[in-house]
Amino acid sequence: MSDLHDDAIEALLRKQFDGAVPDDGFSGRVMQRLPAHRRHRTWPLWVGALAGTAACFESLLSAPLLHIGWRDWAGGELSASAIVLLSAIAGMSLLACWWSIAEADDR
Amino acid sequence: MTDSPAEARIDQALVIRARLGNDHRAFEQLLRRHQGMVRAQLHRLLHGDHAAADDLAQEVFLLAWRKLDQFRGEARFSTWLYRIAYSCFLQACRKRSWPTGDADDGEVERLPAPPYAVDLQLDVERAMQRLSLAEQTVLLHCVQLGLSHEETSYVLAMPLGTVKTHATRGKAKLKAWLAPWHEANDKERIS
Repeated sequence: MSDLHDDAIEALLRKQFDGAVPDDGFSGRVMQRLPAHRRHRTWPLWVGALAGTAACFESLLSAPLLHIGWRDWAGGELSASAIVLLSAIAGMSLLACWWSIAEADDR
Repeated sequence: MTDSPAEARIDQALVIRARLGNDHRAFEQLLRRHQGMVRAQLHRLLHGDHAAADDLAQEVFLLAWRKLDQFRGEARFSTWLYRIAYSCFLQACRKRSWPTGDADDGEVERLPAPPYAVDLQLDVERAMQRLSLAEQTVLLHCVQLGLSHEETSYVLAMPLGTVKTHATRGKAKLKAWLAPWHEANDKERIS
């Protein structure tokens, strides 16, 4: 028996594929549903992010935990406050990393 | 089926026009250039359910319009559209529980050689449907839509090695299942 080659199989598969579907009004229907403006307003996102950061900074500034944690960390002492601070930073980095991966995946 | 570099450049120019000027006409040209193959891809993925495939294709192009800023030109525009279409298909499968047409992953057994060559296409169709879903999907993109292994890997979000494995296995199964046709052909040539 002579073997069927990859080329022969590919030719059969291509022949079996119907190819591009005729338009038949499809494009017109899509164009009717297309929103007039594509651009998203990005300023609310930035305003929200800035307001959130400011609020976070404001509330943490008065909390002793941040100061103690920072002082202990700078002094090389791994106290509970320093661990909390480090965990918070690690958590935020992980979230940022996950967000970037999700955004990249979307593309 | 595969776009030439010139076609890719036209797509790129149309994308820039559509993106910068919010130009509906540029997008309409892109839509008209690519709707046929995207719909063909979805028809195949949905095993010939034309109405569902067209509904999904509409969603694909509306999504492409919304996400046009995210097209960076790293892949061809058609490949980018196939990727959106494939992820819309997967989402729709999860939502609507469409039959995935999962198949016979078992070992090869040959289809009996039918007497007439006109039946060959039917047998190819039957053989395709007996492949596992992953093999069918990879062969659809690699062979029928004419994408490279790398492009298929991008569209299906599947590692390159897995794409190559599915393509090789799928073809090997088809070869074995369709061998009687080949033998019949050989005999005809000899006699």
